[in-house]
Amino acid sequence: MLGAAMLVAVSCSSSSTPGGGASPSASTTEKPQQGGRVIEATISDIATMQPILVADTASGRVTGLLYDTLIQVDYKTGEPKPRLATFSVSSDSLKYSYEINAKANWSDGKPIIAEDWLTGLKAVGKSKKTVRKSNFQDIVGFSDYASGKATSIAGVAIDSANPKKFTVTMAKVSCPAIINLIGYVLPTQVFGKYVTDTSKDEIDSAPENTAPTVFSGPFKLTEWRKGDQVILDKNPSYWQGAPNIDQYVYKVVANQTAITNGLKTGEITFGTIQAKDLADMQTVTTVRIDKYQSLGYTYIGWNTKSPTAVGLADKRVRQALAYGLDMDQVIKAVVFGEATKQVAHHVPVQWAYPSGIQLEQYKYDKAKALALLKDAGWTPGPDGILQNAEGKKFNLTISTNSGNTERETLATVAAEQYKQLGINAKAAPEAFQGLVTKLTTGDSTLEATIIGWSLGAEPDPYSIWHSSQIPDPATKKTGFGFTGFSDPAMDKAIEEGRNPSNGDCSIAARKKQYETFNKILNENQPYNFGYSNNVLAVSQLSLQGFKPASFADVYNVFEWWIKK
Amino acid sequence: MASAATTVGGVMAPAEARPSRSLWDNAWYKLRRDRLTIAAAATLVLLALLSVLAPVFADHVFHYKFEQQDLFHTYEKPSFDPPAYLLGTDEVGRSQVVRLLFGGQVSLFVGFVAALVNFAVGVPVGLAAGYFRGPFDDFINWLITTLNGIPQIYLLLIIAALWQPGPLTLIAIIGFLNWTGITLYCRGQTISLREREYVTSAHAIGATHGRVIFKHILPNILPLIFILAAIDVGGIVLLESALSFLGLGILPPTPSWGNMLTGGASYFVRAWWLVVSPGVMIFLTVLCLYLIGDGLRDALDPRLKTHETH
Amino acid sequence: MRNFLIRRALYAIPTLIGISIITFAIARLSPGDPIRLFTFGINDFTQEDYLRLLHAYGLDKPIPLQYVDWLANAVRLNFGESLIYHREAGRMILERLPNTLQLAVTALVLQLVIGVPLGVIAALKRGSWADNAIRVFGVAGHAVPAFWLGQVLIIAFAIGLRWLPSQGMLTVGKDQLDLLDRLKHILLPAFVLALVGIANYSRILRTETLDVLGQDYIRTAHAKGLRERVVVYVHALRNSLIPVVTALGGILATLVGGALVIEQVFSWPGIGQFTFQAAIAKDYPIVQAGVMIASTLLVVSYVLRDITYAIVDPRIKVA
Repeated sequence: MLGAAMLVAVSCSSSSTPGGGASPSASTTEKPQQGGRVIEATISDIATMQPILVADTASGRVTGLLYDTLIQVDYKTGEPKPRLATFSVSSDSLKYSYEINAKANWSDGKPIIAEDWLTGLKAVGKSKKTVRKSNFQDIVGFSDYASGKATSIAGVAIDSANPKKFTVTMAKVSCPAIINLIGYVLPTQVFGKYVTDTSKDEIDSAPENTAPTVFSGPFKLTEWRKGDQVILDKNPSYWQGAPNIDQYVYKVVANQTAITNGLKTGEITFGTIQAKDLADMQTVTTVRIDKYQSLGYTYIGWNTKSPTAVGLADKRVRQALAYGLDMDQVIKAVVFGEATKQVAHHVPVQWAYPSGIQLEQYKYDKAKALALLKDAGWTPGPDGILQNAEGKKFNLTISTNSGNTERETLATVAAEQYKQLGINAKAAPEAFQGLVTKLTTGDSTLEATIIGWSLGAEPDPYSIWHSSQIPDPATKKTGFGFTGFSDPAMDKAIEEGRNPSNGDCSIAARKKQYETFNKILNENQPYNFGYSNNVLAVSQLSLQGFKPASFADVYNVFEWWIKK
Repeated sequence: MASAATTVGGVMAPAEARPSRSLWDNAWYKLRRDRLTIAAAATLVLLALLSVLAPVFADHVFHYKFEQQDLFHTYEKPSFDPPAYLLGTDEVGRSQVVRLLFGGQVSLFVGFVAALVNFAVGVPVGLAAGYFRGPFDDFINWLITTLNGIPQIYLLLIIAALWQPGPLTLIAIIGFLNWTGITLYCRGQTISLREREYVTSAHAIGATHGRVIFKHILPNILPLIFILAAIDVGGIVLLESALSFLGLGILPPTPSWGNMLTGGASYFVRAWWLVVSPGVMIFLTVLCLYLIGDGLRDALDPRLKTHETH
Repeated sequence: MRNFLIRRALYAIPTLIGISIITFAIARLSPGDPIRLFTFGINDFTQEDYLRLLHAYGLDKPIPLQYVDWLANAVRLNFGESLIYHREAGRMILERLPNTLQLAVTALVLQLVIGVPLGVIAALKRGSWADNAIRVFGVAGHAVPAFWLGQVLIIAFAIGLRWLPSQGMLTVGKDQLDLLDRLKHILLPAFVLALVGIANYSRILRTETLDVLGQDYIRTAHAKGLRERVVVYVHALRNSLIPVVTALGGILATLVGGALVIEQVFSWPGIGQFTFQAAIAKDYPIVQAGVMIASTLLVVSYVLRDITYAIVDPRIKVA
């Protein structure tokens, strides 16, 4: 928003095409018309309107419209930018100073002050049901407050002269803090009573969690028809200027098909579609289609500790599995070309993407794959199936979550291509809930798993790739590092990118660390990194000012307008 | 339903235990003249044969394996050349017609075997409960009311999440859930039959329980069982497709008509042939089974009411 | 009679207890951990966080103990707090129950309004093309997968012709009491839900009417002239409707069950769709509340059906 229009597209391959050939958005000089309604669809009902309790996308969307955040990330680059507050970080990266915009007021007219951010922080400390506690663990005194040992948080200091200014002191250098500390700015006049010195976890069941009354965002809650729709009306006193549109309705539908149908009929104003529906959507003359790269990727994770698929422990075998799968052809077949091949962890739109170094692209090469397998001791047996020196056959079960057509197809295709290498591969979809538990607990029966990561603006890969995150069923330790792959140099790079010993959290310094990190992943292939999808955002032609990109889509909702 | 009991009994020769030969002769005679039922049965047998012989067709007619992919020929329209593209190809270039035949194997297998389980459980339990009454009957009654008290789809929903739904688990789940209707019918019939004179007199001359059940009661409820069976199989084929739609049926890449229909439905506009062919197969199969059920009903006892069993 | 009513109502109690045990056991035995599920992919989510949440939701207690706790609360209509929505699960189901009932009742009305006349017409015009068409429909109506028909109708009427909306209960922004708009939304889902019932009723009514038409008094009336004939037809029809009326209780309940798939196809915000999604997300309290409430509805309607039976046909034996 702030100067967003001036920003030149950096690494993003964003493009906008009209649906059925009608002219795209109106020229920027046109004066916005007032009124109208935007309807967005969600597949599951929102869970809560309490930002600290949000654990799902739908609730995140609505709370984002009701409450503004302290700072925001640039919609195209993912770098932090001021929103409610301007900010600065001390050179040792231990002290964060914020000043909230003088104009910023709550919808009841009260100014938004530092105390409101503290209320949000205290709420996280008191809550038993939030999943965000660890975001704040490095603030001096936060753990003592959360455990009830202290009644205040020592690391937060509010300027006695200016209630809109405050500083946060960290116990140790933590680069993700700049994003994590965005935190939650909650109206103290409403939620203050749940975070007094004597309160316990009352915040978890506060009635205002489902019926908020005071807002800082561009919209305010009018009605929540449970299970059906959330109706938000514009906040006329929004500090960045009242939105042009009158109403924002967030409607619950049953599945992706319903969203696609609604976009075709105009029942839904904007939303994303799957690649398989793109060709069909392009024949609809009433919509515009924006494409941009997603902030995530779909991959095949190899269990390098698998007792059944022992081959996966060998780097050469994993490399062979990368050369042996024609990913370009797969992208064409599975997602109709709407994706970019991925050979390491970070995606191209992230600043952490290793753009400065050369990565092996693993171009499809069956001969090379077979050579690598042979090198690793896997040669065809009498039945054509690869076996090792002990005569153990190379069996490979590729699991994925059922119900996701794209991943099911990918599993089927991958299994078939690996069969061509002589691997006895088979696809095995299973219910998401069971699969997730197996992954996070390090279930040894998993051999290969197709699943996806959605990454955030903060590129820290610690919880996925640091060796401390490898689950271990023996000690009941859980984590996302289900491949079991670790490398001391990679650990070092992750740690230096997250908690640099010299306190340098600059993008340039961190980017260096992530180059090392991605290089190691690229060579060792604990995943076949698969591909990063294009997001296909469809909007009605009447919607103006809608400029979605990888990091944000409704960030400028107060500037949108409906052309009549 | 009460009238059904009387009429079935009424048709029987009351004195001698054996089912009257003329009942089956009559039925057979009527069935042979019922062209619709014969056509339905022939179609069903044809579908079953095509499915059973799927590997033969795949190898010798279509020259295409059912799991064989061709990423360069996805979404090919139906054509005669090559024969494997008779019904087009799917999203990874597999032959729709070959997969349809193999899918039939799975769907029909699930339908018939699950129905068989239904009857293997339902008939003995119903006979025993109706014949012996007492605490066993009370327990069975409680169990049935309890199971029937949960809308079936809800029950399937939570159970299907418990196991990985493959053909065999699905058979087990449906087989052990769907028996209640059959049991209720058998129980009801048995209760009314065991009060009849010829049964009581069989008892009087010292017939064992087993003899009474197998010689006097079971043969009398057989016609009903045949009718129920036809409808039951059809219901299960439909149920399999509904579960597939909810993502709880047989999981791909194992083809079943249900998951092919569900998968195809997401390519409705892009590739209609992927939706139409499994839809037609399911429709035809279920239609034939219902028609056969109707035909049997007419043939075995024209006065049996058309009340639904579920 | 009164004794029968009381006994029949009391009989529902062990049934409901059985249902609660089955529901609870199955929901808890299924694999997957809800906490893992909704925290999957959250950055810096630690093992301590996990244990804290497990404890906060009471999922760290032994399962039988959890059942006793749950049952004690469930009888007071408190089904526990949803793991995802942080609200009382029973209330969330009850909020959506009217939507499902709306769909089910409309479908029921459609079944009667379409199915009954079809059956009667077929019987009256026995052997005609109309009779044959209705008989074919009576069988074919059973053979169409409902989810598939729903999708086809959406493509035809909502996307192709643009006559009807593709989803939901009400156009966003329309007045809640806009009946015409509601009617437009309910038409397709109610029809698809009603289809099997329509086919079924047309079959029942055809047989029943044929039966009645064959009775002596009707044949006599036929001979006597029009006025008499009308009187007797009305009488005959009423007789043949008895099985229809007695089937109502069970059918309404079947509709509630069948609505699950239809709700999913048409994005109808009812309990079926909601319970289904909760089952996928392993939100135990909601799944349990959804199944319990739908089952209670079913059991109550069975009781009502049996009572209707007893009233309509006094000869019925109480088992």
